[in-house]
Amino acid sequence: MQVITAFIAIASGVLVLGGYFFPALAGVQTLLLNWAIILAGVAAIVGILNLTSVHMDKIRRGEKGSAYSALLVIGLAATFFFGMILRPQHNVMQMVLNGIIVPVEAALMGLLTVSLLYAAIRLLRRRTDMMGVIFLLTAALLFLGSATLPFGDIPLIGTLIRPWVSQILALGGARGILIGVALGALTTGLRVLFAVDRPYGGT
Amino acid sequence: MIFPPDLITGVISFIFTILIFSYLIGDNPLFRIAVYIFVGVSAGYVAAIALWQVIVPRLIYPLVFGSMNEKIFAAIPLLGSLFILLKVSSRMAGVARMTMAFLVGAGAAVIVAGAVMGTLIPQVGATINFFDLNAAVAVGISKGEAFGNGLVVLFGTIFSLVYFHFGASPKADGSMHRFGLIEIAAWVGRIFIGITLGAVFAGVYAAALTALIERIASIINFFANLFGNF
Amino acid sequence: MADSIKCPVCGESNPASQEFCQYCQSRLQPITGSLKSPDAPIKPGQAPTKKNTAELEPVLPQWLRDARDSSRNNEDEDVPQASQRPAKTRPAAPAEDLLAGLQSQSSDGDEDETPDWLASITGTAPTPKKNQPESSEARRVELGDKNDFAQEETSDADTPSWLAGLTENKAQANEKDELTDWFRSADDSRPPQQPAKTPAAMDDIFSAPAADDSPDWLRRMAADEDDGKAQPPSFEASANDFSSQASETPDWLRGMEDKAQSADPAFFAESTADESEAFDPLSSGELPAWLSAQAESAAKRAQDTTPKWLKNEAGAPATGELPAWLSTSEDTVPLPPVPEISADALGDLPDWLKASAPQTSIFEQPDETPAAEVEPAEASIDSPDWLNAFKEAETFASNEPAPALEKDIPFDAPPAFVGDSQAGATDNLFTEMPDWLSSAMELPASSSPTPITNADAIAPGELPSWVQAMRPVDAPLPSSSSSFSSDQTLESRGALAGLQGVLPAAPGFTPTSKPRAYSIRLQATEEQQAHAVLLEQILAAETAPVPIASYSSLVLRASRGLRWFLFFVIFAAVLFGLSVGAPIFSMPLGVPREIGGALNVARSIPENAPVLAVFDYEASRVGEMEVAAAPFFDQMILLKHPRLTFISTNETGSVLIERFISGPLAGHNYENRITYLNLGYLPGGQLGIRAFSLNPRAASPLDISLQPAWASAPLEGVASLSQFAALVLVTDSADAARVWIEQTESTRGEIPVVVISSAQAAPMIQPYFDSQQIDGVVAGLYGGAVFEQNNAGRPGVARRYWDAYSLGMLLAMSLALGGGLWNAALGLRDRASAREAK
Repeated sequence: MQVITAFIAIASGVLVLGGYFFPALAGVQTLLLNWAIILAGVAAIVGILNLTSVHMDKIRRGEKGSAYSALLVIGLAATFFFGMILRPQHNVMQMVLNGIIVPVEAALMGLLTVSLLYAAIRLLRRRTDMMGVIFLLTAALLFLGSATLPFGDIPLIGTLIRPWVSQILALGGARGILIGVALGALTTGLRVLFAVDRPYGGT
Repeated sequence: MIFPPDLITGVISFIFTILIFSYLIGDNPLFRIAVYIFVGVSAGYVAAIALWQVIVPRLIYPLVFGSMNEKIFAAIPLLGSLFILLKVSSRMAGVARMTMAFLVGAGAAVIVAGAVMGTLIPQVGATINFFDLNAAVAVGISKGEAFGNGLVVLFGTIFSLVYFHFGASPKADGSMHRFGLIEIAAWVGRIFIGITLGAVFAGVYAAALTALIERIASIINFFANLFGNF
Repeated sequence: MADSIKCPVCGESNPASQEFCQYCQSRLQPITGSLKSPDAPIKPGQAPTKKNTAELEPVLPQWLRDARDSSRNNEDEDVPQASQRPAKTRPAAPAEDLLAGLQSQSSDGDEDETPDWLASITGTAPTPKKNQPESSEARRVELGDKNDFAQEETSDADTPSWLAGLTENKAQANEKDELTDWFRSADDSRPPQQPAKTPAAMDDIFSAPAADDSPDWLRRMAADEDDGKAQPPSFEASANDFSSQASETPDWLRGMEDKAQSADPAFFAESTADESEAFDPLSSGELPAWLSAQAESAAKRAQDTTPKWLKNEAGAPATGELPAWLSTSEDTVPLPPVPEISADALGDLPDWLKASAPQTSIFEQPDETPAAEVEPAEASIDSPDWLNAFKEAETFASNEPAPALEKDIPFDAPPAFVGDSQAGATDNLFTEMPDWLSSAMELPASSSPTPITNADAIAPGELPSWVQAMRPVDAPLPSSSSSFSSDQTLESRGALAGLQGVLPAAPGFTPTSKPRAYSIRLQATEEQQAHAVLLEQILAAETAPVPIASYSSLVLRASRGLRWFLFFVIFAAVLFGLSVGAPIFSMPLGVPREIGGALNVARSIPENAPVLAVFDYEASRVGEMEVAAAPFFDQMILLKHPRLTFISTNETGSVLIERFISGPLAGHNYENRITYLNLGYLPGGQLGIRAFSLNPRAASPLDISLQPAWASAPLEGVASLSQFAALVLVTDSADAARVWIEQTESTRGEIPVVVISSAQAAPMIQPYFDSQQIDGVVAGLYGGAVFEQNNAGRPGVARRYWDAYSLGMLLAMSLALGGGLWNAALGLRDRASAREAK
């Protein structure tokens, strides 16, 4: 089985990769990628099935917090039921989106404001080094540069320093990180294509 | 009395916002109720979307209404989908590996090609092009400014990359240290990375603050609409 | 005793009328006892019915015809000539009959199973009583290997060392080793055959005349038999096995052992002292009546008979050529009778083969009947020679009891059991018969016939006379044998399908001894133990949770207070900023380069051009993304009225698109499939994006309402990505933006790309703008506010949020700097105090 899975991974990878460079393989690449689209959608459903089964098990076993699991399963079943009947873009489903999903996610994101600020304040208490100081100073500078005064941009900071820091200074580091990420992705991808890494379960 | 949909949405939205904000006093049942319901609703929503916008149009339609070729081509992902569904069963999970191997292999190829063609080559080229003074003048940047900026970006890029080089050799006392020049470059690289992460931090805070503003604004709107309607 | 029968298997008493044991369900009565005429077995001395079987010749199996032909052809040959013929080894590879497969299977099993059952045979505690017959049968099957055949040809000069040393009463350990080696080599190819060098008298017994003409099954049976003869060590092992399980041996079996041992010392001349010790006399009072009687008669016979073969051989002038084990047999301690080899070998055979093979009678023990008494049978003119000899064998078998040990002593078939005259008669009969078969005819009377069932026997009406004669005789003691054949499992699959009792039952092989216990106590010195304790303490210190000073209860309380303070401060600032009717803070005036690029794109696309908008953000950033994107789309729609096509690589993105259209863009009255189209969710991440960039029609053939997308007005004239007028990425993730930029690099052509991002993603998207891979970036509320400032003064959400945003940012800057400095000072103080404490 491991040989088969490795062969599948390598073959699909080579064909898809060949589509980038050889026009003759573009059709095969398109076909394989369209299959991948479908399989990825099915994988999402499998993930939801797994989530459901986990919480159903908790309910069956009567574990602590099973009442919450029951709420989760009820919400899931009801939303899925109405979503299948009415389709996701229906107004009722829009109400669900605007009434539950968006408020909860946005509120959680809003709470992050406090946490981030708290972390920034406490940073130098635990770590008073150059990296921490530069980090905090940059953040504070950009806080200040992003705001305005009643009469306009904050002089120098809003008009000169902030753009220079965010577009030049930060750019160098960001580009270095991006290139590093690309190199890492390249290495990882090649390891998968050469079956050195088999994250699909082939050890 | 018939409540308008906006009012119902507003009420629900307000309730859930308050429930989430209750986390400030600590993890409590109200917060948990909101989170569990949210997870369930989101999962149900995603499942419905996956079925209506992936399975039905891309798998069911070709199999039912498609031509013979489309049916044949749809049969293969159908088989792969069945394999993935077997992942639910621990006994048959091994079969799903074939489908996962296909996804991983294709994904690896896409990542490799994208990284090389979309990031590595263009970004390296852009770092070099920063010293194209004529091009800078064409967009209204002076040559000195362009040269200085290019130098900063070049050093920032190189030093940041060096910072992620963790190769070291043992010293006489047994300690591990990087090569001297690399150590210096990495030290400079830390500055650039610190600045970049500070900028990211500021951006995250800005995004969170905007979200908080949006939530508070929605509460205000809800009460405005509520008292306006009554 | 007469009204009850003791079960030979479990030892329990049963009513005499019982056919099967009521405790273990083993057969108590001879299985042939129920045979009625004409199925009744032939009695000793009874001549078979003469029948004309010529017409049946064609229907005979090939091997039977071959046997007959061979016997006819060779019937005039003299015995020494035949015996001097070098015996050919049985071809190993081709399996021409069923037994060949049987052997191969058993030998295959040998390799795998040898260690287990061999251990139990040679050195371990006895198996449970009920398993004994099974194990012994199994052993026979296992031992019936093709390799045994070659042993027969070994002359005294070539006698292997193990055979020569047989008389020396080897230690048990050595026996076990030899036995183990022998078993393990059971499947190995045979050593090259050597010409028989035995004297004529021995040739009569040992040689395999015309073995090359014998059917395979006969040859393989011969191999089995020879193996039994040639492997005394295994017998010794068996005997040791018995000695170790004496307590579990059935009483009747012990009685048999006792009787047989005391009766005929010379008969068991090959036995060793160890073996004789294994069979200490036990009480025979528990023997069944029928068994006691037979045992007594056997004892009497044994006292004044046999060593006939020994006498004959001892008196032979060629004594010096006798094998060592034979010449020294007088000095050895007698052992219980071990004549069962033949019957054991037959026990491995299918019943149909037993029924047709003459061995059932041949293997009977030679009675005390002297050779002279056999002569009349030989002189019978009406019967062919081979049939006369067969009668002789029947005579031998007629009155002899079958010792119960027979099954467990499979390898003892001394060739010297056969007298000269008998041997000559046998050879006359079966000139092609291997010598093991010949010698088996003269076996002492301790063997028991293997009973056959009605089902196994061929219908008598169709039997030729000579085949009829081969039917088993009604032995006086068949029950013991049948009861030993308790493994009546009928094979239903594979090559052995239909055979019964062929393969051993698993329990018989199960070693019953407990594994030897080894001490695992670590021998460590005190110093080592002290080091171990020290290491343990170090590890415990490392893994033990240490309360962090900053998270002590006091700090936690302070932390929670600080959080509440921060929340209420920010909340108040935002609430104030949102509630104030008049704007407090000015909107940003400057236009950064990246936002200027976006402005250019919004103003430069062709009128009514198709624009692809990718919505790829989470619901948590709806507020920020809508604020940032609304001015751009508002201006673009106002100026160019583009045909918008939306797609999302986020699950909820397709619904957020609808929210965006019905929210910020509601004033433009864009209609589905006329001025805009929602292609919905594009799964697969990078794979999906690449597929869409290669062939959008194939990747997203239908829109969100499952209508054909590419025939709609918004996508009119669009077949590829490069045919869009612009690509607008609305995303909160730098990774999503990177993937879109990377994967569309080669397919989007020269179309402008604008990224409307969250503020958090902007720093990592900036390099792509700098490399001119994208044409503009609008990041967060700040970018939206800038764009809104340049949107012809149209009101937007950014203005409403801006005061709160500016207040929040200023507050954050103040708190971060002030709080940071304060905490830095506190940190320095703490570290200084910590250093002082040290």
